[in-house]
Amino acid sequence: MTETQKETVKALVTELRQGTLTEANLREGIAGIVGADSPKRQDILYLQAVTTSPGAAVVGMLLVEDGELHEGPPNPEDWPYQTVLEAVRDGWRIISFPNMALLTVDEKEFYGLGAEFILERWR
Amino acid sequence: MRISERKTYDCEPTMTDTEVLEFCKNGYLMLEGVVPDDVNRRAMEYCDQHSYMEPSGILKEDWFVENVIVHPAAAGAVRSLLGTNFHLPILMSNHRVQCPIQAVGGWHVDGNYHYTHELNFLQVFYYPQDTPIEMGPTQIVPGTHLVRNKARFMGHLASIKGAIPTTAPAGSIFLTVYHIWHRRGPSTASGIRNLLKYFYWRTTPPQRDWVIEPDFDFATAQYTGPGGAYVEQFRDTIKVSEMFLWLCGRHKSFQNLGGQSWPLPADRNDLPYGFPAGLPQPQSVEL
Repeated sequence: MTETQKETVKALVTELRQGTLTEANLREGIAGIVGADSPKRQDILYLQAVTTSPGAAVVGMLLVEDGELHEGPPNPEDWPYQTVLEAVRDGWRIISFPNMALLTVDEKEFYGLGAEFILERWR
Repeated sequence: MRISERKTYDCEPTMTDTEVLEFCKNGYLMLEGVVPDDVNRRAMEYCDQHSYMEPSGILKEDWFVENVIVHPAAAGAVRSLLGTNFHLPILMSNHRVQCPIQAVGGWHVDGNYHYTHELNFLQVFYYPQDTPIEMGPTQIVPGTHLVRNKARFMGHLASIKGAIPTTAPAGSIFLTVYHIWHRRGPSTASGIRNLLKYFYWRTTPPQRDWVIEPDFDFATAQYTGPGGAYVEQFRDTIKVSEMFLWLCGRHKSFQNLGGQSWPLPADRNDLPYGFPAGLPQPQSVEL
């Protein structure tokens, strides 16, 4: 439960104890808690790392935020996350890990850009 | 015969062993501002008058062929990489765009790519005008000619560490391996940006007939390039050395025996184990 949701519950309980809780307030509070009046959006973060470790250095990124594509700062040193772990610590949730089936590809060839992690967050 | 009627061309090579090896590592070579301003202006006028995608008629203009297509700096580099009597371009494309374009282009490799250690043709670009970052110069990722990909699987790639914009003054020409990863950069300035693209082709087998450095040492040369940032350790080193030996006409002797053998970089006290037989030694070394 988020801090906002906790505050809403606390306010409803207070009103209940004071005998001031109305049906309208109860409905509004519940809607606020479940987010019925404000549909959430999924943000997506593609991070390409040099190895499959979430702690490995990132060599590529694409951010999808509020339905828009964002490159990130031009200088890689200014990218929001230098590792996948940094993104996780910031609240991102990994929804796709590098596909280990790629190990079966010819040992002498390499395809694509690094080990790709895809992360999401809901806002 | 007029220069524009020639199908092939020959001239003195200009690149050294080290420069050819650097091309193998990076996948591109930039020749900044080599074409004179008056030719650049004339090329711009031609592009304005022939604003379609493939103004191949410019290849029938002697002034253009003489000063751009067989310009000594450009042709010398092409001669170094493609050998004698290389085939001249027969198609001209113009990536002509109206700036500004806020959206960046998508990373891609051009269609009909063929991943190989062989270098049988060159993709060449000519900027007839100043192309600073504000005019959205093509971006490339050095070394990615060694990393296989497919354009339809690159749509989600955006910022890539190591990518560079090919900002260049008017009259610049840059040569690339065809399948290097590239895209159009975003532009913020107003105006037309022209970018002419054309191909040269090899007609003779490869051999080491560029500018030979007497001290160049195949055993200790560094074959690792920027592609190493994206692939399994030393895989780019091996690919670069194979490409370089192929260009030297020595591909039959190319070998990689694994482990710490040639061409891996190291401070050895002898010839690298597995050093290909028959490769030239520096003139200062007594055999």
